[in-house]
Amino acid sequence: MGTAVADGSPAPRTWHLFCRVVDNYGDIGVCWRLARQLHRQHGREVTLWLDELASLQALQPAVDTTRARQECEGVHIRHWAAALPPLDPTDIGEVVIEAFACELPAAYLALMQATRPLWINLEYLSAEEWVVRCHRAPSPRLGLRKFFFFPGFSEGTGGLLWEPEPLHPRQAEPPPATLLHRLLQELEVTGPLPATRLAISLFAYENRAAGELLGALSEAPGGVHLLVPQGRISPAIDAWLGEPLPPGGSCCRGGLTVTALPFMTQRQYDRLLAACDLNFVRGEDSFVRGQMVARPLLWQIYPQQEAAHLVKLEAFLARYTAAMPPPLAAIIVEAHRCWNGAAACRKDDWLGLLSQLPTWQAEARRWQGQLQRLGDLASNLVAFAGNQV
Amino acid sequence: MKTAQEFRAGQVVSLDGQAWVILKAEFSKSGRSSAIVRMKLKNLISGSSQEPVFKADDKLEPIVLERKVVTYSYFADPLYVFMDEEYNQIDIEKENLGDTLNFITDGMTEQCEAVFYEGKAISVELPTTIVRTVAYTENAARGDTSGKVMKTAQLENGHELQVAAFIETGDLIEIDTRTGECKGRAKK
Repeated sequence: MGTAVADGSPAPRTWHLFCRVVDNYGDIGVCWRLARQLHRQHGREVTLWLDELASLQALQPAVDTTRARQECEGVHIRHWAAALPPLDPTDIGEVVIEAFACELPAAYLALMQATRPLWINLEYLSAEEWVVRCHRAPSPRLGLRKFFFFPGFSEGTGGLLWEPEPLHPRQAEPPPATLLHRLLQELEVTGPLPATRLAISLFAYENRAAGELLGALSEAPGGVHLLVPQGRISPAIDAWLGEPLPPGGSCCRGGLTVTALPFMTQRQYDRLLAACDLNFVRGEDSFVRGQMVARPLLWQIYPQQEAAHLVKLEAFLARYTAAMPPPLAAIIVEAHRCWNGAAACRKDDWLGLLSQLPTWQAEARRWQGQLQRLGDLASNLVAFAGNQV
Repeated sequence: MKTAQEFRAGQVVSLDGQAWVILKAEFSKSGRSSAIVRMKLKNLISGSSQEPVFKADDKLEPIVLERKVVTYSYFADPLYVFMDEEYNQIDIEKENLGDTLNFITDGMTEQCEAVFYEGKAISVELPTTIVRTVAYTENAARGDTSGKVMKTAQLENGHELQVAAFIETGDLIEIDTRTGECKGRAKK
């Protein structure tokens, strides 16, 4: 095993992270953040094995999709092709992370049996009770040391993926309106910004409740600026507006101004979250970021068969709202059920939700602090690996 | 080889060349279409235990042991007593039954399978699907008819599980013994 590394934490030093892109940008979003953080914050030598380089390029334009091996932001990137080039034991990391239960390539696995690395299956995020019982559990396979590692919201889990460094200086950042103005300039979004009371970001899968939401926002007192990152919700927005809204374009209906945003890097998206009064987030990566910027959020969970996602949604809501004033908690729970197809949506409910934003903002800050006390996922992984050596 | 999700309490699995009886197998859906199985295992030689987690589709090696069809007779602490088809009494220690205990009730008539290792009964396997009576459950809140809203129900032996909101006290329910989950109301 390797020696102590830059941050003084114990070895191992070389980390290999395997990521298979299933759909969207959630898997690669999480893996890319983790790879960068293991390198930047902990000084690990990180190799990201990825089957679809184009997905990473969307998040980090410096990535070259034609190169099977390259380095970006200090992270080694290797294309996980169907047929890997010949490998030797030096190609195997001291820690091998199998993200989201992707199956490791057979050739790599065969060499692992010779080098015997620490093998970690990094699982999906869930707020359910059973996660604590499974976190860091051994999983004896092929005579190797394999463990499950779960991100989570409570003691006894791996915490969430966030960078301790950038979060603290945020106190000194400009006010949200200035942040938003700068971001839109950078994204080359032209036209005058609406003088609305609220800025809301909407990052979502297809959602049958979108029309009802937009109708309500158009009647919100003081007006709303809705910022929609390009994605799967965009056709529903166009349908409600009655015209296609190209990236960078804006359109008004009543008191609602909708701006379609071009595809953003992760850092740009993080700034958008910090600049908005309410963020609609989805899946796992944006969901975590939305919590760690301490802003009110509405989560659209990735839909699963047999409505398994609704159980996970309720588990999160129980934790998220546990310490909130009951009236606010009830409104937040109901809004999440509406947005996830588990309850009927009404315009008044959405307007009622907006009226709660000041109280909700304070609760979002408290929730962020609670999550920070769990430590961050990368640091918790490094500590776990160090203890296994 | 069988996938981890196909194993259930009472079966025996080989890990690192040793035989382990499964006392508990807890199935959980993680993300997307993936799932995990957490097992509580007891080593058949040393008696040591471990609680590993597997991906639901991880392949594990079952150990095929001698089996006999049995029916449950009575409990004589700390032994659960079963009877085979030739009316031989078969004793199994309570601590070896694991989660199977959740569904053993007085008067149950299902045919089970006792599993033997080196001549000694070490566990019993229930049928995959069993029917039990709900001894008590709260009335559902009005409007909860989707089948997605769950509530707690207690069986006659005191075991609690989650059932759909429309299930009522006195209902017969089908239970999947591999997962311990209620599959729905049983036909009378």
